[in-house]
Amino acid sequence: MVPYEYYVALSGLLMVLGLIGVIVRKNIIAMLISTELMLNAVNIAFVAFDMKLHDVVGQVFVFFILTIAAAEAAIGLGLIMAIYRMKKDVDVEKLTELKG
Amino acid sequence: MTIVQQLVAGLGVPNFQVLIPEIIVLITALLVFVLELFTKSRILISTVSVVGLAVGALSILTISEGAITLYGLYIVDSFSLAFKFFLIVFTILAIVNLQPYVESKKTYYGEYYYLIIFSLLGMMIMVSSPNLVSFYIGLELMSVSTYILVGLWKKDYKSKEGAFKYLIMGGAGTAIISYAIALIYGKTGSFDFARIFHEVQDKSDIGLTVAVALLIVGLALKASAVPFHFWTPDAYEAAPTPITGFMASVSKIATYAVILRVMVEAFPLNNAIWSYGWAVLAGVSMVVGNFVALKQKNVKRMLAYSSIAHTGYILAALASPNGMGFTALIFYSLVYLFMALGGFIFLSAFEKNGNWTNDIEDFKGLAKKHPIMALYMLIYMFSMLGIPPTVGFMGKFGVFLALISSNVWWLAVVLVVTSIVSAGYYLRVVAYMYMYEPVKEGRFYLNPIEKFTVGFLAVMVLVIGIYPTVFWEISNVLTSVLIMNIGVR
Repeated sequence: MVPYEYYVALSGLLMVLGLIGVIVRKNIIAMLISTELMLNAVNIAFVAFDMKLHDVVGQVFVFFILTIAAAEAAIGLGLIMAIYRMKKDVDVEKLTELKG
Repeated sequence: MTIVQQLVAGLGVPNFQVLIPEIIVLITALLVFVLELFTKSRILISTVSVVGLAVGALSILTISEGAITLYGLYIVDSFSLAFKFFLIVFTILAIVNLQPYVESKKTYYGEYYYLIIFSLLGMMIMVSSPNLVSFYIGLELMSVSTYILVGLWKKDYKSKEGAFKYLIMGGAGTAIISYAIALIYGKTGSFDFARIFHEVQDKSDIGLTVAVALLIVGLALKASAVPFHFWTPDAYEAAPTPITGFMASVSKIATYAVILRVMVEAFPLNNAIWSYGWAVLAGVSMVVGNFVALKQKNVKRMLAYSSIAHTGYILAALASPNGMGFTALIFYSLVYLFMALGGFIFLSAFEKNGNWTNDIEDFKGLAKKHPIMALYMLIYMFSMLGIPPTVGFMGKFGVFLALISSNVWWLAVVLVVTSIVSAGYYLRVVAYMYMYEPVKEGRFYLNPIEKFTVGFLAVMVLVIGIYPTVFWEISNVLTSVLIMNIGVR
């Protein structure tokens, strides 16, 4: 059996990847996907810790995270649709009007 | 027996009596949600929400403290009851000023009302959470509703952009907070503050330090402390102004309250880690917030940076992790409600007029045209700056004393110096109002409700500043409740 530390390391890696994605990507859809990636990394961490603790409470928490990730994705995609209709673009550098 | 009966027999029925305020607020939200589908009457919708919330606020006064319900997921103590009362009252003040504003801007949606109330419900859950699960759900109910509120401006691109920035930054913050919760769970095997405290005690190793650091980063992002503040000016500028006032006052105070509760009740003996972390974040927030605010020409954006600076002042109290610091934090956050909401409602009252752009130039000669409103703005500006006898002075004084009593001299010096710097932009507004001749002819149209709200909050700022004893005693009691709750289950 794979030890739980490996799963925790994987989740940490995915978390950092998602964070880097939010910071460096210029496409607003990719930025939204990066935040979803971070939330899913957390799910892996919860399941891994459940393996360590022989418990199921962490897996219950995963359901809450899934729900919130879905809500955020729905709002994010709605906003992307609205932005695309107004500007016909998804590039952050060309979209920025609020500055200072 | 059915499954439900077995569950009830095994666990017992939760005590719904102490949940009456939340139930009333939830019913109000659902009622407005349904009503908005069937009626076009805007007065009716806003009346129903105000009456529902008022009943909820009154029902808080009838509830006796000290109950833990919903199987340990929900605590009803004086701390949460007092904060809930203030949150509901100030939400009512934001809602009554919403309707004239959105109608004059032709951006009316019925959704504003129930989204605000759902956001309020999230905050109420958040401030009364003795458990990381209810804390997380409350925080997210608040944030997700606020993302939509920021983006609700009809056919306005800036609103969508501000909302999207807020969503991405807030989503990253959510992920970081949940990762911190995962690490804490892996470390202690529990979500409960008291159990976490018993497991952790004063041991601190690398895993716990990382978990607390991530929790601080995530909560700092939600409370808009520098360097995680990038969403704040954009979202605040993009949102309709009464919504900005709601976010800058009510949401922020709920976030401060929950920061205090998590840090004090879950990690009371590890304060060496978090007090230092919050001290650094608060110091940077004060410096960056005040210096960037100096070069803002738009007053709404300037107030957004001023709210970042106030995050610094308020969270600086956590650098002194003792009763005095917590009292100063609670006092300052309660009185900050009055200043922040008042300032933004002032802008929203004038913004209804087409030729008002929130630019600093618009303030020229305002004292000649609207002497009373200019006086109210003067009170708000002096209070945010911290000039006695306004209440901002008492708040800063409390934080300053707490910092000195724990020998955090460097932060006390930063607080005083950046307060002096902030005179540069607060007094500029006052100078433009009183020392210039009006450039534009004609008075502005103001709604009586807005005049009343701005006046009431300004008078309260003065009254509490002259007689702070009541609020200071409330803060003292709440602090002792918070400290008595440590480790109790």
